[in-house]
This record gives sequence, structure tokens and C-alpha cells, in this order.
Amino acid sequence: MMLVATLASMAIVTQDQAPLRAGPRDSAAQQAVLWQGDTLEIRGERMGYLQVWDHRRERAGYVLASQVRTTSLKPEEAPELLAVVRFLRDTPGAEALGIGYTAAYLKAVPAGAITAEPFDALGSMAERLARRASAQQGKAGQTVSAHLEVATHYGVTFKSYEQDGTLRLCYDGEAFRRVIAMAANAEVRARAALAVTRNDCIDPALPPLERQQLDAWRAEVLDRIDTAQFAQLSEPLKNRLRLRRAGVWAGVAFQQARKGQPAGASAERALAELAAVNKAELSDADAVDYNDAAIRVGASRWAVQAAAAPVASGPRLSVLTEAGLPGETCVLLTDASHGPKAPLARRCTYGMVWTASASARPDGRALALAVQPLEGWRELWVFRQDAGGWSVNVMPPAASAPELGYVEFAGWVPGGEQLLMAREARTEGRYKRSFEVAELATLNVQKQASAPGPLAAFGKWQDAAWKRQTVILR
Amino acid sequence: MNFRLRPLTDAIRHGLGATGTGIGRLVGSTGRFLFASRRGLVAAGLLGLAGWAAVTHPPLRTVARGDIGVRTNQFTGSTAEFREGSVFVLPGFHELRTYPLRDQVYRLVQGRKADGDAPFQSVEGLSLGVDLSIRYALDPSRIAAMAGKLPDDIPGEVVQPAVQGVVYKAFTRYTVREIFSSKRAEIQQAVEAELRTKLAVDGILLRSVQMGQVDLPADYRQGMDKLLAEELASEKMRYTLELKEKRVKETELEAQADKVRRETAAAAAANEQVIAARAQEEAMKHVLPFKQKQIEQRQFEAEAEKVSRIKSAEASAQARKIEAAGEAESRQKLADAEAYRLDRVGKIASEQMARDGALITRHPLLIQKTVADKLSDKIQVIIAPPSTDGRFIAAGLIGGGGQAASSSAVADAGTEPVQEGE
Repeated sequence: MMLVATLASMAIVTQDQAPLRAGPRDSAAQQAVLWQGDTLEIRGERMGYLQVWDHRRERAGYVLASQVRTTSLKPEEAPELLAVVRFLRDTPGAEALGIGYTAAYLKAVPAGAITAEPFDALGSMAERLARRASAQQGKAGQTVSAHLEVATHYGVTFKSYEQDGTLRLCYDGEAFRRVIAMAANAEVRARAALAVTRNDCIDPALPPLERQQLDAWRAEVLDRIDTAQFAQLSEPLKNRLRLRRAGVWAGVAFQQARKGQPAGASAERALAELAAVNKAELSDADAVDYNDAAIRVGASRWAVQAAAAPVASGPRLSVLTEAGLPGETCVLLTDASHGPKAPLARRCTYGMVWTASASARPDGRALALAVQPLEGWRELWVFRQDAGGWSVNVMPPAASAPELGYVEFAGWVPGGEQLLMAREARTEGRYKRSFEVAELATLNVQKQASAPGPLAAFGKWQDAAWKRQTVILR
Repeated sequence: MNFRLRPLTDAIRHGLGATGTGIGRLVGSTGRFLFASRRGLVAAGLLGLAGWAAVTHPPLRTVARGDIGVRTNQFTGSTAEFREGSVFVLPGFHELRTYPLRDQVYRLVQGRKADGDAPFQSVEGLSLGVDLSIRYALDPSRIAAMAGKLPDDIPGEVVQPAVQGVVYKAFTRYTVREIFSSKRAEIQQAVEAELRTKLAVDGILLRSVQMGQVDLPADYRQGMDKLLAEELASEKMRYTLELKEKRVKETELEAQADKVRRETAAAAAANEQVIAARAQEEAMKHVLPFKQKQIEQRQFEAEAEKVSRIKSAEASAQARKIEAAGEAESRQKLADAEAYRLDRVGKIASEQMARDGALITRHPLLIQKTVADKLSDKIQVIIAPPSTDGRFIAAGLIGGGGQAASSSAVADAGTEPVQEGE
């Protein structure tokens, strides 16, 4: 043991709640409680205890030699430390210890020999720790917060965001960014790219401009996995990349359309990525991401045809747009006898109006139009003519705070004065998909089902264009 | 012209003048009279002499390119100009002088050094050397007229005095410093103007005056250098300051531009944010009526549900009522049947008892037998005092006289066997 004390310079605590005592005895007063991953500087050895200095707490004391592992931080020890890191990398609950070992390895290994592997491990463990911290509550939470403190001491930064009334902790992705910058194999790079582009770790309070910049950056990071590297990936990883890309490009398309830039290419890219997903290889966890991505793509799918000019006012109903207040778009409903000067109806919105989506009822008494106020939230505007004239009703995707979702027009039922709609939304963490038959007069839902099959009206009257383009029937 | 030949040429000139046209004849008769007379010998000598003169001093002279030749008739004094080419010059009759028409440079050599032969003087009385070059040319239009007057050494006899006369005077009007640095052009112009008129008188065109290096007195040079250095430094400082000022201005402008840019960007970002917030608010606003509608719809559905439930409850209550009535009736029927059955059973039992009573009355021991039969499976032994009155031993059990005694006896009998039985 004496030999250990003279050769080794650093001790890594391997157990939770290891006491740091004032003397080399069990009865000695406890100075502090150490957690796994804590590093201590060894200053001596007495009676099975190591005399150490804790830099984090700036405190000296004795710790039982069996509760720590010692290392000299010499280059010869690097392979051994890396082996431990490899072992701890995928061990749940040992993230803090793993981070401690990774730090020791990075210190021991010569600068020229550093590869992407320790950073990949560090990122994986930090991310898992953050996930544990977001989920854990009660007594387990105490351990997790102690582990978080240990990780923070090593320079691993966590960010916290409030989402749906709960606090979410996210790793800032520093290690993964290094991995992306370094030469690494395709799988490691793909994992890193996925980790730094997570949707749920975006600050909800991020201003729109910064959000756009972030999305552009995310798209770029995901595209750094080039075709050759992409081909080397395993199928589930490929799926995850495709899903992430689909979601990000859908967002980019919306932002581009919003700024008046051509968004067709981005939207098509999003659709293509979603279509390329191999559904046979989707795990349960990936299925959630699949729904998520599909809603995002579905919400801004009209960006593909955004360039299509609105139909000029002919004998049938059509819509025109004009600028309102700054950032506002006003929708004018026109027909043969009512031009833009005297429209049938006019309504303004701060959302993105997809004029290409306008679908008029054959008898010219109603028109459905898609309007997207938020990146992942698309509404359906229904213009209707009744005894009192024309009115506009807005159908949101779900009766909850706008999160993710879209509602789309799926067809007119000629005789029955009905409207077919399809909704898909994520509210409070739950996904809901429904196909509805609504009464045109009141827009009340008469029948609904989770698939179009059981609804006879859907079988008969669904819109061919909707069926061709929608992502809800995936 | 070689002046030693002048008497000879003069003699020939005179001879020729006397003979006039007789030359032809002389030549024709030469053969005849050559060896004939002394005159002939003289003539031959003269002819040889003339040949020699013609060889040594050919009557054709050449005017070089860029020069002008002025041939003066020695007799009449008339002049003729010749440009590039050959000119017939009869020795003794003509005189040809050539003048260069090209620009020539005259350099004032003695004034070049401050410590030289003839340095210039400044207004302060200091000696200084200036490297002066004067470019001039002869005026071709006046050269014929001036040819006679001009000396052979034009630079030395015409240009030099003129230059010196102008330049020395000119420099005395300026200080060394002015000559050295600031007033060079002015001096040059003044010299040029004055010299031009002066030289023009002699038919010389002044092209330019160039002022080259100024050689200062050694002491003055040092002081001047220092002064200039300081001036340079101050000048540099001025420029530096100007530059700095400009930089400050540039920075200020850049900052302003940046500020404007940032303000614009911030305003744009703020606008974007406001628009996004409004879009969010709008989306939220649309959700509320939808929720309201959903609630209403649910209310309607609940109402419908309530009505349908009430209806079904009513139906079920009625059904129950009907069922209960049926049940009651059926129970009544059952009760009646039971009553009838009991009545019947009672009657039959009474009849049976009547028949039994009659039988017992007829056969009293039947009771004892019956009792014994009934008890037989429970009691093996009965110890009881014999009836004093000779009656049935279990008379106490079935009532009758001697109740107290019998009861105690029965009690004994009852306990004992039980104990035994246990």
C-alpha cells in the first residue's frame, strides 16, 4: 500500500457516500461525504487509509483505501484508464465515475494520441446523467444531484429548461462538438450529430432569429455525415438521422417561407428524409421520434408548393393575400364578381398562409385553407357562406397549448354538408391522430376514428390530392 | 580656316579675279605652253598648288545632322543658311560656320560646391553651392542674322556671363533655407524668366533652368538637417495626429454604423419576436374557442347521455315494477299453496294423532315402548327408582304425578348416563 501511495498521485472515489474522515480511524469525525467520480490528491498512507486533499471542497482528510482507485496519471496508465472508461461508458448509474475516469484518461494520455473515443464516451455519459436527472425524483434525486455536481466540477455543463411544467436538464454537447470536429468513424460522428441536434433540448425561450440560426446550424451538422459515412451506419442509426433531418429541414422550410425565401427545396428534403425511413427497423423509442418528425413535416408540408402562384380569381372561389401590419398577412376571399377590392371575406394573421392549399367546395359555398402560425402548428381555416354572409372559422389541431400538431382538410362530402378533416397532434407528451367528419354548418365533429377505414365518408369522399400528399397516412 | 593659307588664297583670289574667264583658255593651252616658257612653269606650280589646296581643303563641306550652316560670302558679306548636307565652300571666298540646333546644356561648374571657386551667396551672406543646368538652343530663325555677331564660344562667352549675371543676383534674394527647400521652384522660375529675356537678345532660346543638388555650408547643413528633422518630426506628428484623428473619426463612424446595424438588427429581431409572439398568441386564441366548442359538444353529448340514461332507468324501473308484481303474485300463490299444504298436513296429523291416541288409550304400554325406542340409541342404561305407585318409570318425563321425585330421579338418570357415555 505504501508503494501505491508513493507511485500514485491521484485517487478516484468509486463509491457513493464515502466518508472523508479527519483521521485514519472509523471513529474519526466525518469531514465530508464523497461521491463516485470525485478525485483526490494523495498525500500519504496510514493504516489502510489514504491521506488525501480534496481540491473540490478544499479540504484534507483520510479516506478508506478500499473506497478509491489510485492512478499515477502517467502515459503508461492511459490504456488501462481507457479500458475502464469503455466499461463504464454504458453502465447506468456510473456516469459520474465514468466522467472522472475520462478526465483522468485525458490527463494521462499524450496529446497526440487523443482520439474521438473518450469524448464520445464523455458525451454519452453526460447525456445519460442529464436524462437521469430529468427523470429522477425523491431520494434517488439526491444521488443524481451529487453526481451532477461531480460532473460539473469536471467542466461538464448542463442547461435546464422548463417544459410542460417540468424541468428538463440537458447536456450542452461540448464533447460531442469535439467529436464532430475530430476524425472519427461514421457511427460515432452520427451519434454526436444526433446528440447536439436534439429537439427537446432547445431553449423554448430562444428568440426567433437565434432559433433560425440554430436550425441552420443543426441542418449543417446533420449534413456533415456524408453519403459514404451514412452508408456505413447501422439501420436504426440511419433511421434516427433521417428523422432528425426531416424535423430540422421542416423547421428550416417554415422559417424560409416566413422570410419570403424559396422554401421548396428544404421542404422536399424534409419529405424525402421522412419517406426514406425504414419502418421495419423502428424501435419503440424511435417510433416516438417518428411521430414527432412526421408532425413537423406534416405541419410545413405545403412549403413544397409554396412557390405555386394562387389561382387568379376565376368563376370559382380563390384566395389572395396582401400585407397587413408589419409581419401580418391578410387573406382575401375572392370570386368572379368579388375581386381584391371588395372581397367576400378578409382575415389577417401573423401566421404563414399556404395559399396553394386552398380548396374550394365545388358549389362555391365554402373553402378550406391551411395557415401555419408556428413552426410545428398548422391550422385549418374554413370560409363558409351562410344566411348571414361569409364567415371564417379557425380549426386548431388540438384543444391545448400550441405545441406540435396539424389539422388538414381531407375532402368535402357533397350531399351531407360535411367536411372531412385529419388531425395529428402531440399534447402533453401524448400523440393523437384522428380522422373526423365534421358538420359544415357548425364545424362540430360528428364522427371520428383513429384510422380512415371505419369512416364510410372517408372511403367515398376523401380528397385525392390530400391522400397523395399527406403524411398522416404513413 | 587655316590662317596660314590666307596669303596663298588671297593670291589665287587675285589671280582668278584678273584672269576671269581666261581659265578655260589657260587649260587648253597648258599642254602647249607647259614646257615652253617660265610663265608656264609658274602656272603649273600654281595649278599644283591649287590641286594641293583642293585636296587638303576641299571646297565641299558637310553640315551635320541637327546643325545649321551659315555660309558667309567673304566679299559681299551676304549669308546663306544650309541644313543637313554638303555645302560648296570655296576657300577664301566663302566662310562656313556651323551651329548646333540641338538643345545644349550649360552647367555652372564653379558654383556647384559651397567651398568651391565661386559659390553662390544667400541673403544671409552664406556661401552655398547649387548644381545649375541651363538648357538652351540657338534660335534657328535668327541664326543667319546673328551669325556674324556671335562669338565662337557661345557657352563660355554668351551663356555663362548671362547665367552668372542672373543667378548670383537671384540667389542673394533668398535665405539658404528657402533655396534649399521651400522656394526652389520660385527661384527656378525667377531665374528662368530673367535669363530668357537676356539670352533672347543673343538669339538663344532658353529651354529650361534646372536646379539640382544644393550644397550647403557644413555647419549650416548640420543645423539645417536638425531643423529639417525636427520639422519633419513635427510634420510627421501633424500627419500622425491627422491620421489618428481620421482613425478616431473612422472608428466613430464604424461604431455609428455598427450601432445603426445593431439597432436595425435588434429592431428586426424584436419585430421577429413580436411577430412570432403574436402568431403564438393567435394560435392560442384559436385554441380557446375550439376548446369551448369541444366542451359544449361534450355538454350536449352529456345531455344526450343523461336523457338516454334517464329513459333507460325509467324503463328499467318499470320493468322491475312489473317483475316485482309478478314476484308478489307468485309468492302469494306459493303462500296459499303452503297454507293449503299446512292445513292439509295439520289435518292429516290430527287424524293421525287421534288414531294414535285411540291406540294408546287402548294399549298404554305402547308409550313406554315408544320412549324406550326413542331413547335406545342414546341411553344404554337407565337407573331410576322403581315407581312406587307401579307406574311407568318415565312417567316423570312425560308428566303426571310424583313430579318432584321423578324429576330428581330423571336428573340423576340423565347425568349419569351422559357421564358414562362420555
